[in-house]
Amino acid sequence: MEESLEQILELSLTLLMLGGAVCACVFKDLLNAVIAAAFVSLMAAILFYFLQAPDVAMAEASIGAALTTAIFVIAIKKTKRVEEE
Amino acid sequence: MHIAGMIAIGIGVLFLFLGSFGIVRLPDVYNRLQAGTKCTTFGCLFAVLGVGIVEPAWFWKALLVSLFVLLTNPISNHALGRAAKKSGVPLWDGSVVDKSRDFPSYANTEKL
Amino acid sequence: MRILISCVLLVILSLGLVFALEQAPFGSNQIDNADKPGRFYLNQGMEKTGAANVVTSVVVTYRGFDTLGEVTILFIAAIGLGAVFHSRKKVKRYEKEKQSASLILQTGCRFLFPLIVLFGTYVFIHGHLSPGGGFQGGVIIASAFLLLFLGCEEKKIPMKSMNTVESLAGIIFVGIGLAGLYWGESFLENFLPRGMDYMLLSGGVIPIIYIAIGFKVGAELAGIVAGLIERNP
Repeated sequence: MEESLEQILELSLTLLMLGGAVCACVFKDLLNAVIAAAFVSLMAAILFYFLQAPDVAMAEASIGAALTTAIFVIAIKKTKRVEEE
Repeated sequence: MHIAGMIAIGIGVLFLFLGSFGIVRLPDVYNRLQAGTKCTTFGCLFAVLGVGIVEPAWFWKALLVSLFVLLTNPISNHALGRAAKKSGVPLWDGSVVDKSRDFPSYANTEKL
Repeated sequence: MRILISCVLLVILSLGLVFALEQAPFGSNQIDNADKPGRFYLNQGMEKTGAANVVTSVVVTYRGFDTLGEVTILFIAAIGLGAVFHSRKKVKRYEKEKQSASLILQTGCRFLFPLIVLFGTYVFIHGHLSPGGGFQGGVIIASAFLLLFLGCEEKKIPMKSMNTVESLAGIIFVGIGLAGLYWGESFLENFLPRGMDYMLLSGGVIPIIYIAIGFKVGAELAGIVAGLIERNP
């Protein structure tokens, strides 16, 4: 298959995003799950830039990777940290 | 100009790869912080400056971005190391010296 | 069993999405295949409104009423959070186990805070010339206030002035819409002169609206973060 470099890059970013999303559901330590969710947001921001939408990429990177991670960490600090069965 | 920029980007990518490799393989959180700070800051610096050399119109912006990374990356890793020590993460078994016991605010913090 | 069913459903859903979106013309090399509203905005957006960023002109001018609705939704969410955190007793800071940050961290945070606020202000003032706009700039300013809360703890951020700024910015947005009704023909119409292309003061009423949105979103999210941190668990 003859694919250009850009398509290979997009495919690998999508697979990384998928792996990160599965990890965010499976982890038991909630802080690790929050970091995985921030990783998914970061990959989505890079993909938005490849799809030629820089406004959406900036919004996703700042809101998804910075602000919701901080709010989740503050919420975890006030409740429990490890999710039991 | 083009060749010099490509060489700088290549050196930066090599150091970034070595830094992430060190984060995976080193045994302790304090050793991982050493690899994570020095290698990644240096690699980032050289990659961004290499882009600034390949396109000379962007050189001053690339210089500003690299100065910002040089300023903030060590501060955040210092905060990580201090938080790890205060939470009581134990040192690696093969460690030789632990200078933090000389300071009173870090005493009896190893409880894990 | 449940995991198997969910995996099969996920595969079916993603295949459906792939087949649906495969024919959509993404990218700037497929402008001729786009449908009529897209081509209209791309070809004539800059001449009619004067803003170089077509996304900005769509968000503020062509679909300005929807942006007003979105700002209202954010405001209602902030009000809801404030209602959840309200307590009758006086709220003390949780001071039992707090250790202050080290000197390096405090100096770094004090040095970085004005730089981040400057960058956020740049993003929302140049909303009509480069990618960015009010929402992105406001979130960057809110993350600067988050840094200040986490790094240096002796500085007290006045929360009353945050609420005042947020309310004033919302009133200015609606006021500009009403001014468009008075001087122009309809609500939120672009009644100021168009100006020269690629200049800072171009595009009529678009930079003013984006400045108001930037202040509003920044003050709102900083207030939300402050309310979360200070509340006694």
